Amino acid sequence: MAKVARSPKLPRQRVRYNRREALVGLAFISPWIVGFLVFTAGAMIYSLVLSFSNYNLARNTMAYAGWANYERLFTDPKLAAALSNTLVYVILAVPAEIVVALGLALLLAAAGRGAGFFRTTFYLPKMTPSVATASMFLLLLNGNTGAINQFLGWFGIQGPQWLVDPAWIKPSIVLMTLWGVSGTMVIFLAALKNVPRELYEVASLDGAGPIRQFWNVTLPMISPVLFFNTVILSIAGFQVFDQAYLLFWRDQSGGAAGASDSSLFYAVYLFQQAFRQFKFGYAAAMAWLLFCIIMAVTAIQRAVSKRLVYYEGE
Amino acid sequence: MEPKRRALLAAVAAGALLFTACAATPGATTSGGATQAGAGEFAGTPSGTLKAWGFENADDVGQSRLDYVAKQLSGVTVSLDATAFDSQKFITRQASGDMPDVVQMDRALVATYAAQGLITPLGECFAAQNVDPAATYYKNVVADVTYKGDIYAVPQFFQPPAIIVNNRVAKAAGVAPEDIDTSNLDTLLAAISKMYKEKNGKPTTLGFDPQAHSNTQLWMLALGGKLTDDQGAPTLTDPANAAAFEWLKKVYDAQGGFAKVKSFSDTFDFFGDKNQYVADQVGAQMNFQWYPNVLASTMKKIDIWTVPIKDASGNTFAAASGSAFVIPAGAKNKAAACAWAVGLTSSESWMAAAEARAATRAKDGAPNTGLMTGRPDMDQKIKTEYVKSVGNEGFDQTVSAFYDVLPSGASFGASPAGESIKAELSNALISFLSGDKDANTALADAQTAAESAYQSVVG
Repeated sequence: MAKVARSPKLPRQRVRYNRREALVGLAFISPWIVGFLVFTAGAMIYSLVLSFSNYNLARNTMAYAGWANYERLFTDPKLAAALSNTLVYVILAVPAEIVVALGLALLLAAAGRGAGFFRTTFYLPKMTPSVATASMFLLLLNGNTGAINQFLGWFGIQGPQWLVDPAWIKPSIVLMTLWGVSGTMVIFLAALKNVPRELYEVASLDGAGPIRQFWNVTLPMISPVLFFNTVILSIAGFQVFDQAYLLFWRDQSGGAAGASDSSLFYAVYLFQQAFRQFKFGYAAAMAWLLFCIIMAVTAIQRAVSKRLVYYEGE
Repeated sequence: MEPKRRALLAAVAAGALLFTACAATPGATTSGGATQAGAGEFAGTPSGTLKAWGFENADDVGQSRLDYVAKQLSGVTVSLDATAFDSQKFITRQASGDMPDVVQMDRALVATYAAQGLITPLGECFAAQNVDPAATYYKNVVADVTYKGDIYAVPQFFQPPAIIVNNRVAKAAGVAPEDIDTSNLDTLLAAISKMYKEKNGKPTTLGFDPQAHSNTQLWMLALGGKLTDDQGAPTLTDPANAAAFEWLKKVYDAQGGFAKVKSFSDTFDFFGDKNQYVADQVGAQMNFQWYPNVLASTMKKIDIWTVPIKDASGNTFAAASGSAFVIPAGAKNKAAACAWAVGLTSSESWMAAAEARAATRAKDGAPNTGLMTGRPDMDQKIKTEYVKSVGNEGFDQTVSAFYDVLPSGASFGASPAGESIKAELSNALISFLSGDKDANTALADAQTAAESAYQSVVG
């Protein structure tokens, strides 16, 4: 837009047309612009201001608190526990989701007849409400009578007390997360469909088997999508809330019906600070810390991706 | 970019930001405040529209009381948001200046909201309605909603806990109901061991389910522990609390350990026809007074007897939360809110509820276990008029046993960090019972977190 406007070679009529076209374009996207400014940028700025203050809900007033809320971030042992739990969850959940989603996508890509049926079936769990999924997993993961432990029992494995033993709480939440992996699977499926067939034919002529083809053709060709999914899932992982909250922290009056610190995730703790303890300034500071952590992790992933991701045409 | 276009975009952006900022300008005042309402606000004839929040899925008891008070306040139009209390919703409504005039919430939350100045002290409200709270409600119930000497809520319901023994399991194991004695750990452990059964290392019958993970405060107090000091500050590192933790661990360890007991009890058909007493999955279990209503539908399939929870000295102990009506600081029709809340807990209102409950029970052919209103006079009157023998000795005894423990009620204490104390204590117990931390470490961590919550309010 700016380049066109500055070009001295374009006739005046064309410039006027381009300007009108730009204004029409702006008008069309203005609902989004307003929404972004009000609900994203505006909210973020307000959150930043809030993080430097102590907010009194009863009087709807703020008192400047300087860096106090940020300083507390480094001395709050519960925050350290919540952050640690969240990091462990991300480390467990993201690779698991990538592997399962890619595996399912490969199966679907190979399916001939009935592919549509399987695609729909595989996607159905994503459509299940979180509350229903949590209720189902409470039964599936029961340490004594749950279906998962009964299945393990067929192989002589005594399953753990998934939802009670602190060591197994995070893996059980990862399992619950995998239930909704089909969104990622669909993105992988689209990527797999876009890999040129001739590459496989050439590889096959060169004697490459299925594993070699996957490693040397499929993975490089879908690496941008792999990178995209890794970033998106990592961001979502740091913000995990639904699963832990529904399984362990629903009790309105504050009592944790079966919860311990091992199920305390960062977003759950942030929610508690804001809406149970009315510490909005501290909760806002927590939100900004999480934002910085996610930015840093994404930046690292982006730096690493430059070596590993193959973009066609570059 | 041309200057004009740049200016246009800047204006759009600035406008949007200004709009956002206006939506939540720091320092903006609301109609609310932490000030105590004057007598004038509660006095006078109630009129206008009353915005009330509570009574989610009101049953016959709730509906009859709502109907009664609606007739009494004929000049008031009640707009009822019949949903459960939700702190996030409360905060949102407070921030937007759209507070209801009266809200039903758990008594455990009252001191927290009072300390934040979000709700109004009701001394003048009770005076305007000629009600003496100390003479009307149970002392422990009033203590639950009293913060710094002021009563902040109109309380309702006190449904105390007791231990319902499954006679079938107990008799088969040679255990008498008196053996489920929480003041004598050795006797209790022996009874648990006799009644406990397992198959392939998994429980099939628990000896005694204290439901401690969700009722930690109750067990701490029953076992001599201390939750708060006189100011409401947490005292979770009190040595008696660690001793109580150890007591509970022995109870769980006598029947497979906490994890197995918890996982097994999670599978109970608690509200169904195959509940744990029908299925003989418990020898004894701690329950609250409302639970016999659930068991009533399976009365012919069960054989029960009820014993009280006893403290270390052998005295009956009972503590239970319940709900209450609060008037937010930002309420606009406080006179109607006060009349409505007090009217709902009036003797006439409770008798209307008792009559409705009796009619429902008669229609269903089910026993009437009475109502436990939070008012001693009403509890006894309803018992006298409506609670009759059902010809089942064990069930009759159970109904009677819950009435017997009413005078032994204790308060959990009102603390500005009440929510945090409850949650941290529960976390600490689970961490300890799961083997994650020892008792002292778990309680010390809980104390640190609860103290932080307390200081953030009063500090």
